[in-house]
Amino acid sequence: MSKMAKVTIDGKEVKVPDGTNLVDAAQEAGVHIPNLCYIKGMKGVGACRLCLVEVEGGRGHSIACNTRVKDGMVVRTDTDEIKESRKFVIDMILSMHPLDCMTCTKAGVCQLQKYAYDMEVKESTFTRKKFGYPTDEANPFIKRDPEYCIICGRCVRVCEEQGTNVLDFMGRGVGAKVVTENDKPLQDSQCTFCGSCVDACPVNALLEADRWRKGREWEYEAVKSACTLCGNGCEITAYSKDGQVVKVRSGADEGSVRKYICAIGRFGFDSLASDTRLTSPMIKDKGKMKDVTWDEALELAAKKLKAAGKNAGLITNAAITTEDAVAAAMLAKDGLKSQNYESTVSLYCTADIISRSQAADLDAADLVVLVGLDTSQHSRILPALDAAVRKSLKRKTKLVVVNSKDTGMDEVADVKLGGPEAASLKSLAKACIDAGMKADKKLQDALKDAKASDEAAAAAELFSKSDNPVVIAAPSLFDAAQNLSLIKGAAVAAGFEANAKGVAGAGLSGKGGTAADIAGANLKALLVVGEQPSAIKPKTDFLIAVASHKSAITKAADIVLPAAVTLETSGSIVDYLGNVVKLNASVAPPEGVKTVKDILSGIGKALGKDIKASASDIKKAATSGKASALPFEQVKGLESSPEKVNSGTCSSVLETTRMLWLKEKPAQIAAAK
Amino acid sequence: MTEVKEKKLVDIKKEADGIKCQVRQALYLIEEFLAGPMCGKCFPCEMGTFESKIRLVNLISGQGSEADLTALRKIASEMAETSRCKKGKDTSGYMLEWLQSDEFAEHVARHCSAGECTSLHQYRVIPDKCTNCAKCQEVCKDNAVIGEKNIAYKSGDVPFSINQSRCTRCGECIKVCPAAAIEVISLRVLTSDEIKV
Repeated sequence: MSKMAKVTIDGKEVKVPDGTNLVDAAQEAGVHIPNLCYIKGMKGVGACRLCLVEVEGGRGHSIACNTRVKDGMVVRTDTDEIKESRKFVIDMILSMHPLDCMTCTKAGVCQLQKYAYDMEVKESTFTRKKFGYPTDEANPFIKRDPEYCIICGRCVRVCEEQGTNVLDFMGRGVGAKVVTENDKPLQDSQCTFCGSCVDACPVNALLEADRWRKGREWEYEAVKSACTLCGNGCEITAYSKDGQVVKVRSGADEGSVRKYICAIGRFGFDSLASDTRLTSPMIKDKGKMKDVTWDEALELAAKKLKAAGKNAGLITNAAITTEDAVAAAMLAKDGLKSQNYESTVSLYCTADIISRSQAADLDAADLVVLVGLDTSQHSRILPALDAAVRKSLKRKTKLVVVNSKDTGMDEVADVKLGGPEAASLKSLAKACIDAGMKADKKLQDALKDAKASDEAAAAAELFSKSDNPVVIAAPSLFDAAQNLSLIKGAAVAAGFEANAKGVAGAGLSGKGGTAADIAGANLKALLVVGEQPSAIKPKTDFLIAVASHKSAITKAADIVLPAAVTLETSGSIVDYLGNVVKLNASVAPPEGVKTVKDILSGIGKALGKDIKASASDIKKAATSGKASALPFEQVKGLESSPEKVNSGTCSSVLETTRMLWLKEKPAQIAAAK
Repeated sequence: MTEVKEKKLVDIKKEADGIKCQVRQALYLIEEFLAGPMCGKCFPCEMGTFESKIRLVNLISGQGSEADLTALRKIASEMAETSRCKKGKDTSGYMLEWLQSDEFAEHVARHCSAGECTSLHQYRVIPDKCTNCAKCQEVCKDNAVIGEKNIAYKSGDVPFSINQSRCTRCGECIKVCPAAAIEVISLRVLTSDEIKV
């Protein structure tokens, strides 16, 4: 437990961990210290000078954003002198800022507006300055308007911290402008349109391109949820107005390395209203799809599944909630009494492996070991993990990359272990033991004849110096990698879909082989839930598709049951780090569309079974197993990759409106290579 | 490519001290500071000096007002308190020093005691002293002298006067006038009608 410090701020006492940033500590005490350039989790730069405070015993004023609290510190943030200085800075900024709070999109959530209000700065006493810089709005994602920029530098630093490094200042002082390399538009730069800069900007200089006249911030309803379009399961805040989703922002805590959401998660909500959205249950009648009522569709589905008996099958993807997965497992086991049920997790991981994936905290990690993963923000392969690791490195975390191929992380890694990963892990484990670290006796015995390479010894040194190492491994290499957690720290199996752990933990794994096997097994009846990767090619007498959008599978289906998407669903998922993340529906599904849970319980009801997940079922799905000494071998048969899986499971989002633009721009295509 | 060495603040101050008019001293310092040592990392300094330049130019061009003085004092005092580094604090220190002199208020009243601010004074011909020798007209490069040279037997010459819209106050005419007939008048003593002429 870290040492606590008692700090007095404006007469209010508060206890915080020793070394906490003063701005954060003050927030805890209920005192807001104004700041425009401070980013939580990053070192303060002292550009805006709004956070100047008086520290008793100190000389003059110090900037709170760069001050760490010590026990007994007494701070004053509200002296007349300080208030005058703050007013001066806001006054100066306003003299360079467009005065259109009336129609500005940021009204209500603008930091400058807030501070001008708090400090009663009605208008600027300084001369009006205008630079006439043009906006950059040629791309459909992010609009840049330098006229509003207050040169705080948050966007530049955020982009740099996560490793994309697209933005920088051009010029010095008042006329400075935030630009990309050679002042090109965003789409001609390395920008991935993740929007971290949009989340960081305190004013209207950077925002989503489609927000003009789409309502005021205070008209929006915000809910917390998670994105389920890839294995990262990023937390999001979804904003809606009049039943439509209008904005998605990153929902993780300020200051967390996990605060990130890629372009697909941020702007993919267009797909909720796309042309390919399914809005009515349909039954194939003489080769043509006919609209029917829900009762008719569910009745027929239940009839066919019952008739198939043990020869019925059920496959789902792992982007559904844990509640949906538990319902699906119950339907398969109790309703269909068949062993042919499985999720797409089986394409890249086994239920056993992912059940033993441990809980880990990336923010607390001081060493990250990436095994068999090649993350990339540009190609959007586990982009949030890529950003989180790069951010951690800037916060003094170390990185070891274990991969037989070259990866994008090699350039920033402290140690790279090449060659077959399982052998590298064995070498690393041996090096740790050679370095004197204690380990499970079984593991030590298994490593008796192993040899440690020089690189492994360097990595082991980092391992021994760290307090909280986290090993994140591709599922096929998890068994080998988790041996390290017997020595120290936690090991995680990074599933390629958002709720891999929850879905597998819900018991959605029978004895019928992988999901691809079940799909191609020529069963009498097959129920497919959710969008599927291309590896799933259903061959069955009767295909029932539960899906949100048209696809090859719904085209071939005999019954189509339109389902809600994640933004329209409440429930929970278990993310790859073992956290249970609660999903709150932002909007209701369109008329005629039901949630996956309702559809499955509807089928169950038609079969005469009550399908309802209990709280303990949900809880069980999140438990992680224990580590044990296992052979240093790569598990065979789990060769699928994140790209292969996700291109199928989120094709409805990728093929929709704004997302198609990403495929067309040459710079984007080049960057993704 | 030759590397241009950035001027040090102390050197700029030394150069500024060579200027007689205090207001111009301040403007020189600010302009050189903006072009060189200013790092642009903190708001009070980068925005304050930019604003100060605008205000000082107002004062020098005869458009200055009391509000400009208030703004300059405020900026300098806040910069001294809140600047991120010594450069900002030093610059504002010099500013505060200079702002104490009466010359700033004089400039608001349209008078430059050092005589360097050419927008704050006019050159005028003293009719009683002028001998119509036209020497001033010969040296004036701006064609700002109106008048006809005196010719022995002729009378009715156009008297000499200075066209204020063309005069750049370069001072060449004053140098050559044998009769000391051109005087420098501060705008402070002229009425607005007189200034227009």
